[in-house]
Amino acid sequence: MASASSTAPRVTEGAPQTVAHGVAPLRTGQGTSFLLRRLHSLTGIVPVGAFLFEHILISNSTAISGPEAYARQVSFLANLPLVFLLELFGIWLPIAFHALYGFYIWYRGDGNTIAYPWSGNWMYTVQRWTGGIAFAYILWHTWTMRFTGVDLHAHPEMSFGKVRGEVFRTPLFLFYVAGLIAASWHFAYGIWLFCAKWGIVSGERARKRFLAVCLGLFFVLTGAGLASLTSFRSHPQQPADPGTAVMNR
Amino acid sequence: MANSKSVIIKIKRQNTPTSQSYWEEFELAHHPGMNVISSLMEIAANPVTREGKPTTPITYDSNCLEEVCGSCAMLVNGRARMACSALIDNLEQPVKLEPFSKFPVVRDLATDRSVLFENLKAVKAWVPIDGSYDLGSGPRISPQEQEQAYPLSRCISCCCCMEACPQFNEDTGFVGAAAISQVRLFNTHPTGKELKRERLAALMGDGGIQECGYAQNCVEVCPKDIPLTRSISEVGGEVMKQALSDLFRR
Repeated sequence: MASASSTAPRVTEGAPQTVAHGVAPLRTGQGTSFLLRRLHSLTGIVPVGAFLFEHILISNSTAISGPEAYARQVSFLANLPLVFLLELFGIWLPIAFHALYGFYIWYRGDGNTIAYPWSGNWMYTVQRWTGGIAFAYILWHTWTMRFTGVDLHAHPEMSFGKVRGEVFRTPLFLFYVAGLIAASWHFAYGIWLFCAKWGIVSGERARKRFLAVCLGLFFVLTGAGLASLTSFRSHPQQPADPGTAVMNR
Repeated sequence: MANSKSVIIKIKRQNTPTSQSYWEEFELAHHPGMNVISSLMEIAANPVTREGKPTTPITYDSNCLEEVCGSCAMLVNGRARMACSALIDNLEQPVKLEPFSKFPVVRDLATDRSVLFENLKAVKAWVPIDGSYDLGSGPRISPQEQEQAYPLSRCISCCCCMEACPQFNEDTGFVGAAAISQVRLFNTHPTGKELKRERLAALMGDGGIQECGYAQNCVEVCPKDIPLTRSISEVGGEVMKQALSDLFRR
């Protein structure tokens, strides 16, 4: 009798004590986050990453050969058919989506490198910071190079001089270097993350090997970018006759 | 109690699921081989704080005391691990014990980890063998397949991988590495794979495998050394394959 009366209130006391907080279980069949997250992952490789690859390794590297070669490359790009649509759908909108959804991912994650200071966890945090730095740089760089000052689509022969004007100012040069390193790292490690998450490279050893490949890509991108940047500072201002560069194409 | 031969343990306590937490410090005599659980047992035998104030014994989950039941997971010096295998001699003093931060506290160090059970149900982490008649013996599993599956079957549902994951929180509602790894285990089982399509589809829902940020803390904290990142990669690939084939064929 005594034990029955003592257990009865305990049951009612324990049962309704449902706790409001805590992580929700998996919502099977609900939402669009799978599509959006995978689209975020894909846009980082194509077209955004592919554009970065072209921009640093193909276009910018022509600056190493001097102002004429650089002007020829700018002129070639500016004269691509439907260049505005290519820019809009191939570069600006994908970058805008990748960046905005990326900030959303960043906001929802809880970095914990202090408690768990392991390399993969650090890379998780670095991937978010490099993305943020790269985006800030890209906004500024697009604004000054594409939308303000001399219109380089109309005057490709002025392009070397325009970049040179910025790169010669040391704070801006350092911003260029920071943007280059951040974007290159974000892309190179992003390829590794893409391949790991999409099951393309899955085994422990395979992932380690592929990480070395991606690290190599980072150094190639950064090296080529730095070589191009310094060539803007070392070459003379403009070709003797600015018109010849485009005329002699 | 000689100071050089004593152990200081700081414990974050909480009386009810909704009440404020507070810290209490305990001082125990050191003896070789002691671990966090044996220390908690000693405190239960003599629940007096370092200041000499009588208190209640610490509430915590534990059972096997040999790192196979998964009950006694908690934060030891800020890191998710099993308390039974946390040897005091290997820990920095004072030893700080806290309940898991991402699971509702029941009392003191005991937390409600039933979200993992819900997630395992959501991904159908079982082999479907129920029927109205005898289904006979199942297909043979080759030694090679067994070797692949065994490490995955060692999961003890301790939830360390989820606690340590930067993506596992109330904003994302991420399913966590343990359930994803169980999907891999049951999808590779010759009878279990009958539910493969449903399991992969479940992982495409909100909080599914896409929330993984590949910080790889899961595989580092796992007390059973389960290849969790490999499971996430392989299941991630399977989920993508199914998503693409659904896109073009359904």
